[in-house]
Amino acid sequence: MAQKKLSIRIDGQLISAEEGQTILQAAKANGKYIPTLCALDGLTPVGACRVCLVEVSGVDRLFPACTTPIQEGMSVTTNSPRLTRYRRMSVELLLVERNHTCAVCVSNGHCELQSMATALGVNTVGFAYNYPKLSVDMSHPRFVLDHNRCILCTRCVRVCAELEGAHVWDVTSRGIHARIVSELNEKWGQATSCTNCGKCVQACPTGALAEKGWAVEEMVKKIGTVTSLVHRRGVQV
Amino acid sequence: MKKVKVATAWLDGCSGCHMSLLDMDAAIISLGRKIDIVYGPLVDAQEFPEDVDVTLVEGAISSQDDLSRIQKMRQRTKILISLGDCAVNGNVPAMRNSIPVSKLLQRVYVDGSEERKLIPTDRVPALLKQARPLREFVKVDFWLPGCPPPAKAILGLITDLLEGRKPEPTQPVKFG
Amino acid sequence: MPRIQDIGAFNTVREAGLAKLVPAVPRLTVGMGTCGRGNGAEGLYHAFAQAIESSGADIALVPVGCFGACFQEPLVSVRLPGKPLVILRRVQANDADRILEDLEAGRLSPDLIYCKIEEWDHLTGHVRYGEGYPEVPAWNEVPFFKGQKKTVLRNCGILNPDDIEEYIAIGGYQALYKVLIDGHPEAVIEQIKAAKLRGRGGAGYLTGNKWEFLAKAKAEPKYIICNADEGDPGAYMNRNEIESDPHSLLEGMIIGGHVMGATEGIVYVRAEYPLAVHRLNRAIEQAREYGMLGENILGRGFKFDIALVEGAGAFVCGEETALIASLEGEAGRPRPRPPFPAQKGLWGKPTNINNVETWYNIAPIVMRGPAWFAETGSPKSSGTKVFSLVGKVKNTGLVEMPLGTTLKTFIYDIGEGATGGREVKAIQTGGPSGGCIPREMFDTPVDYENLAQLGSIMGSGGMVVMDEDNCMVDVARYFIEFTHSESCGKCIPCRVGLNKCLRILNHLTEGAGAPRHLDLLDELSRYIRDCSLCGLGQTAPNPVLTTLRHFRSEFEDHILARRCTAGVCEDLALSPCENSCPLHMNIPRFLQLYKEGRLEEAFLSVILDNPLPSSTGRVCQHPCDSRCRRQTLDQSVNMREVHRFIADAIFESDKYEGIVKTLLARKLEPTGRKIAVVGAGPGGLTAAFYLALLGHDVTVYDSKPEAGGMLRFALPEYRLPKTMLRREIELIERMGVKFEFNTRLGADLAFSDLDDHFDTILLSIGTWKESRVELPGTELKGVFGALNFLEAAAAGQDVALGRRVAIIGGGNAAIDSARTALRKGAEVTVFYRRERKDMPAIEEETTAAKDEGATFMFLAAPHRLIGDAAGKVRAIEIVKTRLGAYDTSGRRKPVSTNEIQRFDCDSVILAVGEGVDVEFAKDSGVTLKESGTIEANRFTLETSRPKFYAGGDVVTGASNVSGAMGLGKQAARRIDRQLMEAERWSILFPDFEYEQTPPDEPSLSRRHSGRALVAAVRVRSQDEVVNSLTHEEALDEACRCLRCDAKAVDVS
Repeated sequence: MAQKKLSIRIDGQLISAEEGQTILQAAKANGKYIPTLCALDGLTPVGACRVCLVEVSGVDRLFPACTTPIQEGMSVTTNSPRLTRYRRMSVELLLVERNHTCAVCVSNGHCELQSMATALGVNTVGFAYNYPKLSVDMSHPRFVLDHNRCILCTRCVRVCAELEGAHVWDVTSRGIHARIVSELNEKWGQATSCTNCGKCVQACPTGALAEKGWAVEEMVKKIGTVTSLVHRRGVQV
Repeated sequence: MKKVKVATAWLDGCSGCHMSLLDMDAAIISLGRKIDIVYGPLVDAQEFPEDVDVTLVEGAISSQDDLSRIQKMRQRTKILISLGDCAVNGNVPAMRNSIPVSKLLQRVYVDGSEERKLIPTDRVPALLKQARPLREFVKVDFWLPGCPPPAKAILGLITDLLEGRKPEPTQPVKFG
Repeated sequence: MPRIQDIGAFNTVREAGLAKLVPAVPRLTVGMGTCGRGNGAEGLYHAFAQAIESSGADIALVPVGCFGACFQEPLVSVRLPGKPLVILRRVQANDADRILEDLEAGRLSPDLIYCKIEEWDHLTGHVRYGEGYPEVPAWNEVPFFKGQKKTVLRNCGILNPDDIEEYIAIGGYQALYKVLIDGHPEAVIEQIKAAKLRGRGGAGYLTGNKWEFLAKAKAEPKYIICNADEGDPGAYMNRNEIESDPHSLLEGMIIGGHVMGATEGIVYVRAEYPLAVHRLNRAIEQAREYGMLGENILGRGFKFDIALVEGAGAFVCGEETALIASLEGEAGRPRPRPPFPAQKGLWGKPTNINNVETWYNIAPIVMRGPAWFAETGSPKSSGTKVFSLVGKVKNTGLVEMPLGTTLKTFIYDIGEGATGGREVKAIQTGGPSGGCIPREMFDTPVDYENLAQLGSIMGSGGMVVMDEDNCMVDVARYFIEFTHSESCGKCIPCRVGLNKCLRILNHLTEGAGAPRHLDLLDELSRYIRDCSLCGLGQTAPNPVLTTLRHFRSEFEDHILARRCTAGVCEDLALSPCENSCPLHMNIPRFLQLYKEGRLEEAFLSVILDNPLPSSTGRVCQHPCDSRCRRQTLDQSVNMREVHRFIADAIFESDKYEGIVKTLLARKLEPTGRKIAVVGAGPGGLTAAFYLALLGHDVTVYDSKPEAGGMLRFALPEYRLPKTMLRREIELIERMGVKFEFNTRLGADLAFSDLDDHFDTILLSIGTWKESRVELPGTELKGVFGALNFLEAAAAGQDVALGRRVAIIGGGNAAIDSARTALRKGAEVTVFYRRERKDMPAIEEETTAAKDEGATFMFLAAPHRLIGDAAGKVRAIEIVKTRLGAYDTSGRRKPVSTNEIQRFDCDSVILAVGEGVDVEFAKDSGVTLKESGTIEANRFTLETSRPKFYAGGDVVTGASNVSGAMGLGKQAARRIDRQLMEAERWSILFPDFEYEQTPPDEPSLSRRHSGRALVAAVRVRSQDEVVNSLTHEEALDEACRCLRCDAKAVDVS
């Protein structure tokens, strides 16, 4: 059955989109760019990173494009001074939260957080750095988990649970102490449910999850392999 | 025309930013007609002069000495620029920040040393608890991240300032 | 008990319940909510039970919940057959025997009586207890309950929560029966909609609409949930409601289940509420047993059950999507909406969630109709709301008021204002997600929209009252600390934003704040509010945003002056006394030095902090006294009298010359800068003293023939002997200060002269202009202004007062005038339009005036003065006032009545306030404020004219000696820094070495005060009334100091 079509406006341009699509999906299908960090095609959107917030005319609140379904006649603004300010703020806060030492990171030059900072013109941060003490889990034979680079987007959690079906990853603790754990806080290398498929590594937007054996700048994520897998399997979300 | 007085400084960094500064090839010659480098690792001056127009600072603030130097530079400079990641966000020097200073010194000078296992006390400035970026101590006017920032970007920034423009990077600069 | 299946069985149970509620024998209840238990209700209950058992008396002893007046716990109610229910308060276990004796004798225990209930409207039913006891106030006549309307709390504290039969007795489950019999669920939804009931959890969404969504949802099964995850610090409405009346909740939910087509209800309650969990479980069991839950409810074929789930205590689980995640066994983290729970809720099925209180309103709406419900409250917010009123008010507890009631009704009428003579500063509504509202806005009606407009929220109903001892920066920090630790960590704004917010606020309270932090905080807070995923993050910055908006000056104090006026931020104060002293005297230091027998050093410490220690030792308003922590043991240390003693002792001894030499030796090298100080009052003298010590060339100008200002020309000799003051001024002169008298700025001295001859000028002029009063007859002979009168008296001039003197006013000038007139042999009556406790005069002075024979007439405002043919005043007519509504200062406004009284008198002294005569400043380039004072920067004291500073009453309006001196001191410091471009202030003060550990055990000595002369004797002379302490007494006082300044040293 053909989906019902809805008419909406994105940045003033009238477009036609399918009912049930989110603002992000509708925008993408029509070649409109909305920045994202936690969203990944094919995974359940969680609305956690807030960089995809957009304005909807007539409403004061901001809406996450990744989870908000479109409505007939909706007029969406994807860019405004306020949105840019807020997106910068999110990126700045991520940069001070943990230790993103780009210069010595395997993902330097191929990192979504780094390129978003560049795109938003972030050349300094107005807050004091936290410099927390965080561990690096090297126990897995092929992969490494570096909490210093993690932005808690939970793509790894979702790709593992929803695509691989292993659900190795989850989030433990609250607030600023929240962090990714494998199984019930086992070392990754001891996590028996892990199938070593590496999807989490490819889905990770930063250098938090990486393959072993690469030096600085050498880890290039093959995010396309994850998303194409989604489409091949026709996973519905 | 009076030449613009430019100082450079090397705090807790690897001198890579200064290398990048020298890496601007022929452009440095024409630049040299417009500016005087009055202080820094590239020249002989021992004391940071009064009334400097522009100071480019490489490196994080890691020691008591770094701190007093940056405060003096701030007092004597019109425009202060954080040059490179260490000065902008702490970068590699800040990787020691979650380790207590005493443990750090022990590891480097005693456990890690083959001979003379001794933590130096004089002629080595006392370390601060953490290495931190410039702006957490003094007002900074412009930032140029990168490890190191590309020579072109440095040249662009200085040129903008010389020509009285608010520096706007022509190409995106990135951390790392 | 067989399940009730028809109306006959229902009525039988109802009769049985009524026989328990209104028995033919005496009934005795004990309030056994958590609040009652915390105050010893369990022991009390046991004491009653034992006594009844041993005496064999026929008395029904019943545990009930809480009646709301938590500050009066434990509450007990007694009822003799046919008589009203009488509530007793603060009953202790050892009162049990006599209460029972009294009961058996048919008496009440008079000292314990709080109020009575003759009849009670349970809304679902009406109970008549009996009439009588005319001397006992009805429950709604005592201040705490006056105006309260108990809808949600209709059964709390009256019924036994563990007995379903009592609930059925008052019409309980009738609404359910009605709904089941009627068989029109959609009609009930229409009723709820018509009642305009809004969700009581805080967001205020219309309940009827929410119900309709679920009713229309197609999927099966559907769930309804009661959100009892009450997590706000200081809020305990839901706990009390469930503990006191669990069946009203169940009935509301069963009706909701039927109406919305749900088959299962879940109560999600905090595990930290064990008593509520216990009573609710019991109620659920009883409801099943009596046929209200399970299959075929009340024989009407409806199947529904309720389960109770204990939450693990995460604040975020109060958010509905996080609550659902928690019920499903996931970590309590919210999910984005849409989809809303009504579409996709628990286990992916349509779900409705309402707050505890929302459910409590259902049965009354069904029974009494929507019109009845909507007639209470404001147009957009109908009904009542329960608030937990806590913090710095006299009466605390659960308060149920119609929505739209003003904040000041809560604070002043029900709460009866602040405790300990303090002033209420703000109220915080809505828990950690709410905002702080300043007292200027206490007229605001409490409803969803009005609170939102002030940047706050109603939330679940927390109200925390704050007084001047609360630091608003610390309040913001405290709430952010809470939400920060409760953030689930899912979204960036809440997880990292609150973390940064907290770090900045920590900096401010530690004195490490910078001006840029204010804008950063503001921007960050807006970002967190606008960008967070769920309600926790979206509302978490409210405490910061509202305090920044309404209390910005406190933030500025922390950053620019590094001061916390409330004395909460410990890093910013030496000790509470030092912090409250306008001169910031290091009080613990001089006490300790004196204690160690080092009199000269003690004096040096005193004089370098306060150049008029003898005078202020006599007349200061002593704010230190009310802040002293020793008060919690017995009474505050008499700090003022000790520095008076130290100063007097040195001034009178041969050590004085040595001290002068020491001081002169501390004087800095001449700077060559010339400074003029205009005004030789306490503020000007103080500034001159410090500026001279700093090496400047200082000239002080004054229009009077001598220095001292108000101290010299307004304060009576019996309070401050002028010889004392003269010695202090002489010391200031010896520091190099020059004086030019009989020189008036504007007349004898032009601004341009000052500009030409001086580098800096400080304006420190006193408040010599008497306030005008609109009163017929002030032109009559024999009518004096208080300042004129006092000045003439101080100058030794004779003022013909006659025999009877009327004084109008309640400030220090009124009392000084009264006591001066008494010393001239007059009969004195003081008229004041408010009550004695509202008088601004120093309390001890008022008492002394009374002892000396002055008559006081309160609630009396002047109406007119009547003269004779010769134009001489002969009488005063006053109009009696009564106290009206509270104004925003927290005092009741006097309102004139029709009652006019006439008093014959020979003279009248008007003491209705003073101001600055700012005529001189016209066209000077010095900007004036509307209040008639000079505008000066709060921190730098710079005026709008370059080189000109202002400090003292000329900036603040009439204040007091130490206040003016504090500003003089601040001005000296700022002027020196500006002139010398360096911070040289600390060079003036030597390092004193003295003991830094507090006493192991506090001294047992009681507070010493200077002995006063007998009233009858002193009133006949000008002799100083209050004697100095003796050396032993002063030493005792010094030893009483607890040394709050000695901070714990980190030894790690």
